[in-house]
Amino acid sequence: MTHLKGRQRLLALGGLFLVVLAVFVGWSVMSKPAAQAQGAKRTRIVFWHEMTGPAQQQLDTFVKDFNHSQHKYEVVPEFEGNYNEAVQKIINTHGTDASPAVFQSMDISTSQIHHTGYTTPVQKFIDADHYNVNQIAAGARAFYANKGTQLSMPFNTSQPVLYYNETLLKKYHITPPPVNPSYSDITRVATQLMDRSHKQVQGMTVEIYGWLFEQFMANAGVSLANHQDGHAGTPTAVNFTSPSTLTTMKWIQDNLKRGDFVNYGAGANAQNNETASFLSGRLGMFLQSSASIGQLTTGNHDQLGITYYPHPDGQKSNGVAIGGASLWISNDKSAHVQRGAWDFIKYLMTAKSQAQWQVATGYLALNQGSQKEAVLQKLYQKLPATKVPGEQLRAATPNATNSGIFLQGLIQERNLTQTAMEQIYNGSDIKKSLETAEKSMNSYIQGNNRANGY
Amino acid sequence: MIQTKTLKPLRYLVLILLAIVILGPFILGFWTSLLPTADIAKGALWSSHISFANYAEAVKQTAILRYLLNSFVISTLTMAAQLLFCSLGAYAFVFLSFKGRDLLFYLILATMMLPFEAEVIPNFATVRRLNLLNHYGVMVIPFLTSAFGIFMLRQAFRQIPPELKEAADVEGLNHWQFYWRVTLPYARISLFTLAAYSFLESWNQYLWPMLTTFSDKFRPVQDGLRQLQSQETFNNWGMIQASAVIVVVPTLIVLFVGQHYFKNGLNEGATK
Amino acid sequence: MAEMMSTPKPQSTPKPQVAEREKQRSFNLHVNDKYYALAFLGPSLLVLGVFVFYPMLRTLYLSLFLTNNVGRPTVFVGLKNYVNLLTSSAYQASLQATAVYVIGVVVCTLVIGLLLAQMAVRKLAGIQWFRTIFSATMGVSVSVAAIFWLFIFSPSVGLFDQIGKLLHLPLVQWLTTPGPAMVAVIISTVWMNLGFTFLILFGALQMVPQPLYEASAIEGASPRYQFFHVTLPMISPTLFFTSTVTLIGAFKSFGLIDLMTAGGPNNATNLMVYQVYRDAFLNGNYGLASAESVILAVIIALFTLLQFKFLEKRVTY
Repeated sequence: MTHLKGRQRLLALGGLFLVVLAVFVGWSVMSKPAAQAQGAKRTRIVFWHEMTGPAQQQLDTFVKDFNHSQHKYEVVPEFEGNYNEAVQKIINTHGTDASPAVFQSMDISTSQIHHTGYTTPVQKFIDADHYNVNQIAAGARAFYANKGTQLSMPFNTSQPVLYYNETLLKKYHITPPPVNPSYSDITRVATQLMDRSHKQVQGMTVEIYGWLFEQFMANAGVSLANHQDGHAGTPTAVNFTSPSTLTTMKWIQDNLKRGDFVNYGAGANAQNNETASFLSGRLGMFLQSSASIGQLTTGNHDQLGITYYPHPDGQKSNGVAIGGASLWISNDKSAHVQRGAWDFIKYLMTAKSQAQWQVATGYLALNQGSQKEAVLQKLYQKLPATKVPGEQLRAATPNATNSGIFLQGLIQERNLTQTAMEQIYNGSDIKKSLETAEKSMNSYIQGNNRANGY
Repeated sequence: MIQTKTLKPLRYLVLILLAIVILGPFILGFWTSLLPTADIAKGALWSSHISFANYAEAVKQTAILRYLLNSFVISTLTMAAQLLFCSLGAYAFVFLSFKGRDLLFYLILATMMLPFEAEVIPNFATVRRLNLLNHYGVMVIPFLTSAFGIFMLRQAFRQIPPELKEAADVEGLNHWQFYWRVTLPYARISLFTLAAYSFLESWNQYLWPMLTTFSDKFRPVQDGLRQLQSQETFNNWGMIQASAVIVVVPTLIVLFVGQHYFKNGLNEGATK
Repeated sequence: MAEMMSTPKPQSTPKPQVAEREKQRSFNLHVNDKYYALAFLGPSLLVLGVFVFYPMLRTLYLSLFLTNNVGRPTVFVGLKNYVNLLTSSAYQASLQATAVYVIGVVVCTLVIGLLLAQMAVRKLAGIQWFRTIFSATMGVSVSVAAIFWLFIFSPSVGLFDQIGKLLHLPLVQWLTTPGPAMVAVIISTVWMNLGFTFLILFGALQMVPQPLYEASAIEGASPRYQFFHVTLPMISPTLFFTSTVTLIGAFKSFGLIDLMTAGGPNNATNLMVYQVYRDAFLNGNYGLASAESVILAVIIALFTLLQFKFLEKRVTY
């Protein structure tokens, strides 16, 4: 790049100029609608969320509708990546201009976010407004409450369920799994699918996902952390190696070895790939959040089947915990902004919004009034299977092992159990892999408890 | 060199094979950006519906153009700042005499050994305290200068004949004037090199903006693509590929135009 | 592209009389240089101090502590973070994965880059086109490369999967099986590196004096012999330079990993920088992540020193 010729330099500058021009023109064309919306003097309420796909579209619609419904506030939604990333972003930006006024944070971060002291409990606004909190599903509320104070508002709430392709099963004359299946029920369907389709269809996949690992334990009635999963006090150790956990992992590993199950890996790519395979009829069954229903029904010509989360053979299912996330209000913003954030939360929790939310996404409508809404009734009529997640939630009796784990560092726990799952899926010794994860998690808990002075 | 005629076709064959390997990902990326996503999802690499629909969708539904603008602003600012501050610093090390000059120079040289990737934790805390998060400044201010730039320009400034400085002193030019009127024009090729270097370095930043930007308003293009990729639970491959092509085309244009100088430079160097 | 500009250029080599000139120069210095120095160097020193020197010390300091849930250092633990790291099988695996990745990337980049340069250096009709094509990946940024390759490696729709199906090869789950995932990440990185490496090596090959080849040809040397006994020794300084630049770049790899595998599967591609990111900005474990940063910095500093040593030699020549 040493000798520059005048003509060529002109050419380069010209090329660069064209690119810049294109960007500016394109940008100004694009940003016009936004500029109009900002016309009136409104208070900006920055809202961080981690929703993707149809859920993000629905959320954006809610935001637009809310902004149209009043003139005081303008909610600005920002997608902040996956749940794990968002937690540290929230903590790290607190007290700066970059921080959100209201944010969505996942179920397992509840203890951690609460302990930072960075939020205003929504209880304060519930009391001030005499908001009828009883209209919101009690099971979901309890997950995000501490000593009678509602810390955050449950928002997207899901149940882990098993999806199967009913049309495919019919095609190969396979009896569908029962509504509350055991491991061997699933094995049977997976094996038959592989055999009868001559390996054109893969039987089943269990994503490498710590959440699913936790739910296997919950459904077997086993505590993951001591002190009753943290419900009776700060946990000091975890247990990843209970007999039923070993049985579960062996069940998956054996099936992977036989080729009845398939491994799509971990993370967003795994979810994309299993969904794509399922929709294209190359995968018969998979475990995922009930929130995927939206994706799995739009544009899917095959009949979708849904069952409860599978449980170990020879015992009753204990029930699974809810998953999802809740909405929090940051305390580093003015009272006016916090009030706007609360108004927005109330808007999201109306019977109408919640019904629409369930129809669009598969997350359960938390407002009791939603069940009467026409959109939801229509969905139940059209796809009776969509009732299953709600039924599963109601079928379980809440106890210490199926109401979530109150432990800080659950992100670490998920990373570690996911690593163990990956090792197991690739054929490693089950007990050894889980013990390694357990050991790392215990030393993490000890360090964390020490650092925070618990 | 031995140039037998039978070898010639073979050479072309190897060259073409290598070219296919290099260009393959580009071609595939561009080609799939023209296909409807539904066809890509079926595993088809051919479709009867070739169109630029994915581009329209990318421009309409995503902030891809905004990302490009952000990157352009950030990279231009960084480039301008590095040209100024590195040249000033280098000037000081060549034309000024002050206590501890050599020590200071070696200290600055030593910073080239410290990878930014290993310092993100305290740097994050610093920009947070300065309330720079989610702002263009957060991606420019830590990179206002660079040890490498100072080092490189110092080498270039040392080529300036001392007679020039003496003449300037006789004419009564002060350091500012000498810096502006003589040093910069004299070392313009090195400055051009540093400009290209700092612009691209900034354009390719990934980790730092990912940690410090939280809205599309400031997100540069590398992290914008990450954002699109993680947002798409449905694997909208057509649109993602279209976005990637939109991002790569400007740099390719600049590269192909710049390529000419580069080759000319090399050729001239080779024939001399 | 970035490091290209730091290639040793013959024209920047100071002439022997530089020392002489330096002496002359000092006669012309003024008393008020101090203030100029402050004005000229001040901004650079401030930025480097705040964003390079201080953070290194701070990272060292943080690495001796446990941090609480908002990231503040609370409990002094001395070297315990380091001990925990170096005895943890997960961290050892990360170090090992980084080593495999770095070696794979450096070797493949150099070999293929050299092949490209060697093919492009011959004078053939239309060779200009090939030279342009071979340098094309210089214009590709990390996220674009990741997206292109992510598609190629993706299951069922990806190119490799389709080719495999056509040839009835066993299905490879590229990004979800440890070995192939590492291979996939290395391939993508090498592809991204090739443009720059090609240009540098091509430049070096062009500088090799033709008479050397002619002389050895007269002596009846085979092209193979010429390559190993003329070409390689002549370009060895450039090869060394390119390999250290590639090596340091590979140690710092983050973007491709983040987009393609997120460190998985089974931590197989959990390289050092990704591990720092994960422990700090996902797990909130800043003390541990600082210790990991220090280890990373030491390794990179060692290789940079090596490169300096080499540059120094070139400059004094």
